[in-house]
Amino acid sequence: MTALAIRMARQVRDRINMPASFFVAIALFALFALTVPRFATSGNAENVLRVASILCVVACGQAIVLILGGIEFSFGSSVALASIVTVLVVPDYGVMGGFAAGAAVVLLIGVLNGALIARFHLPPFIVTLGMLMAVAGLAATLAGGLPIDAPPSEAFSWPARGRVLGVPVPVIAAGASVGTLFLVLAYSTIGRLWYLVGANPEAARLSGIRVRTTIFLGYLAASAFCALAAIILTSRVGSGQPSLAPNLPFETIAACAIGGIPLAGGQGRASQVLCGVLIIAMMNNAVVLLNFPVAYQQLMIGAVILGSVLLQKSSGSIGVLWRSSVPKRGGR
Amino acid sequence: MTAPPLLTMTGIAKHYGATCALRDASLRLYPGRVHALLGENGAGKSTLVKMIVGVVRPDGGTITFGDAAVAFRTVRDAVAAGIIPIYQHLSLFPQLTILENLSAFAFGATRDLRASSATLSIEQARAWLSSVGLERDPMTLVEEISIGERQLVEIARGLGQACKVLILDEPTAALTQDETERLFTVVRSLCAQGTAVLFISHKFDEIDSIADDVTILRDGRTVVDGAPIRSLTRDELVRAMLGEAVATGSRELPPPGDVLVEARGLRLHATAEPIDMGIRAGEIVGLAGLVGSGALDIASALAGATPVASGTLLVAGDVIPFGDRHTASKKGIGYVPSDRHLQGLFPVLTAMQNASASSLKVISRRGVVREQAESDRLLPWLRRLKLHPLKTELPAASFSGGNQQKLLMARNLALPGLRVLVVLEPTRGVDIAARETIHQAIIEAALKGVAVLLASSDLDEIEALSHRILVVRQGRISQELPRGTARGALVSALAERDAA
Ligand SMILES: Nc1ncnc2c1ncn2[C@@H]1O[C@H](COP(=O)(O)OP(=O)(O)OP(=O)(O)O)[C@@H](O)[C@H]1O
Ligand SMILES: [Mg+2]
Repeated sequence: MTALAIRMARQVRDRINMPASFFVAIALFALFALTVPRFATSGNAENVLRVASILCVVACGQAIVLILGGIEFSFGSSVALASIVTVLVVPDYGVMGGFAAGAAVVLLIGVLNGALIARFHLPPFIVTLGMLMAVAGLAATLAGGLPIDAPPSEAFSWPARGRVLGVPVPVIAAGASVGTLFLVLAYSTIGRLWYLVGANPEAARLSGIRVRTTIFLGYLAASAFCALAAIILTSRVGSGQPSLAPNLPFETIAACAIGGIPLAGGQGRASQVLCGVLIIAMMNNAVVLLNFPVAYQQLMIGAVILGSVLLQKSSGSIGVLWRSSVPKRGGR
Repeated sequence: MTAPPLLTMTGIAKHYGATCALRDASLRLYPGRVHALLGENGAGKSTLVKMIVGVVRPDGGTITFGDAAVAFRTVRDAVAAGIIPIYQHLSLFPQLTILENLSAFAFGATRDLRASSATLSIEQARAWLSSVGLERDPMTLVEEISIGERQLVEIARGLGQACKVLILDEPTAALTQDETERLFTVVRSLCAQGTAVLFISHKFDEIDSIADDVTILRDGRTVVDGAPIRSLTRDELVRAMLGEAVATGSRELPPPGDVLVEARGLRLHATAEPIDMGIRAGEIVGLAGLVGSGALDIASALAGATPVASGTLLVAGDVIPFGDRHTASKKGIGYVPSDRHLQGLFPVLTAMQNASASSLKVISRRGVVREQAESDRLLPWLRRLKLHPLKTELPAASFSGGNQQKLLMARNLALPGLRVLVVLEPTRGVDIAARETIHQAIIEAALKGVAVLLASSDLDEIEALSHRILVVRQGRISQELPRGTARGALVSALAERDAA
């Protein structure tokens, strides 16, 4: 009986090709809608999306790195450095110049990471962790330890508070990020190369693929997503802060893991990133609405990460539901 | 056969999603007899033996061992009961010594932490090793011994327990003739002590020499159930496996043209003697050597796969750096590596993505992979090699060993601008029909002017396909033999000891 149910559920899932975390997200939504007051209102939905948007943008970059079989920690301090550089540059070069400088800083860190990892075969874990700390130190030095306020202006706050056709700009940025990630992973040649290199770097090399270039471009692309997020984040806080989003790398890894992207490399889809981000965002929101202490938030996210990894690993009846038996076009 | 069977499997079925690996398979193993399990690639042989040891759980059917129905939960339980599986994939720890590997296993089997202090003594280990015909110091690191010797160590590990059933899933695919003989000696002596042996192979000569009975799987069904091997001719065996006879195509080789690829002053190591060799367009050169002779290393170097100490590699007059696969592949050098899992396969990616990995340039336009072009390019090859199942969206890891090999062959046969094909053990683990197809594909490539370097431990293959055979000993080419050299001369050229 259960076997039949599982087989049917799998067939449905294979047909619409949704990650298993999609069903978790739906179930969670239904649960909160029924039990949490004011959860299922349009105002709250916008709030959830707005809060989730930065995490979503950066998680798209993290997903690329994870597909490559790597990991990226330096997001945490590179957004902080970007915010400080932005604020320092704005008075002389204007808002656009400031944001461009901030984004350039993040891209430069991506280039450094990619070069160290691809060129010198250093482990991504160590390189990006080292970069996280070094950049944090640099940010603190540059800011003299304290937040620097940006001169308030309409233009400066537009990336975080502006709207286009009534939709908040950060939400548009998140949607565009997931959409871009989907297109790149599913259709582009570089996306295919990321999957190949992540699935087996030695086989990729022997197949004639430029493994180093592929890895380098992966870290660069990841930093591009992070640069976009840095602009929105800086705009939102309106200042340069040496400890702006220290948990960002861990939250993005959590989002990808909850979405079902294995850390082993070679697999991962944009829809999984989206589902993972939404699951985290809904849980955070529910905890706030229920007036639970913030510590509960961490406890719940931690439990969900462990639970989802367990699900992916287990070969039990739920495990077979989780793993895709027919991955359409491989990694998508 | 009056003794009751030791192990019986009946009505075994197994589905993976929409693929049906086994429908109705049965198998009976008798003590003291070697039972061959045959079937084309993907017939379900490995799946069946994985069920015996509890790695795969059957959807239906029964397994009885002795008098009782069994369902082992782990390999360790099966081993404790006396069922020893030896896979092509070895499960030893390469960085530990033979002794440590043997005692780790003894420890694992007891599941008793205190037993770890009572590790195996050297004498005991030596006794186990010599019982499998391996005269090696137990303190040798496993990574220093050959694949064949490692298999013997695996068998020796199992001998700590009484070995009632020995399961060998394509043990000889990576072995030389010598090592195969050694393995067979051990198998025969175990058999004489009453062990039931299950032997899976695609090599008929070996089956003839070792098997007593045969079971044949086709499409997940047992079509020949434990017949004495002598009661069937080779033709009948093949027909039962494939449903048809295999037509041997023409082995007529094209006349070679001008030298296309050339290695000058190639030194694999700084101290090695330099090697000079060239392959003409349309020529197939066989590279033969015992394990450790360096034949595979020379072939890999020519494909630009490994860095070398010094030398020049020329393709049609252009110099290509050694150790740069990207450039080599751009110049049209295809390369089928010898280690399918470590060097060839992208296990989590689809069969199509595996096959097209070297063709991305030509199947992409403006940075986008065109899936139509991809399938137009690769699907004909996959069809021709009879990939089974022909579901290119399935992950490569779900294909049987022989079918994974077909993916690697297809990847290289479809290489854009193929001019040089370096193939290492191209038919390892593939069934006779696919072997024939791969041989024909290699000859066809040569007909189109591709220069082929074929390194293989399968002398039949080398003899059938090569214009000339280069014999490699101790890292250098010791002899060149023309096509049609007698087998005896080839074997003695391979084994000849150097005077010094
Ligand atoms: N994990 C899996 N998921 C999906 N299909 C699988 C899986 N494992 C095996 N199969 C399928 O089961 C069938 C039998 O595979 P099996 O490995 O038993 O073949 P085999 O007879 O050992 O072939 P070979 O001679 O190539 O080793 C194949 O069609 C294969 O694709
Ligand atoms: Mg097999």
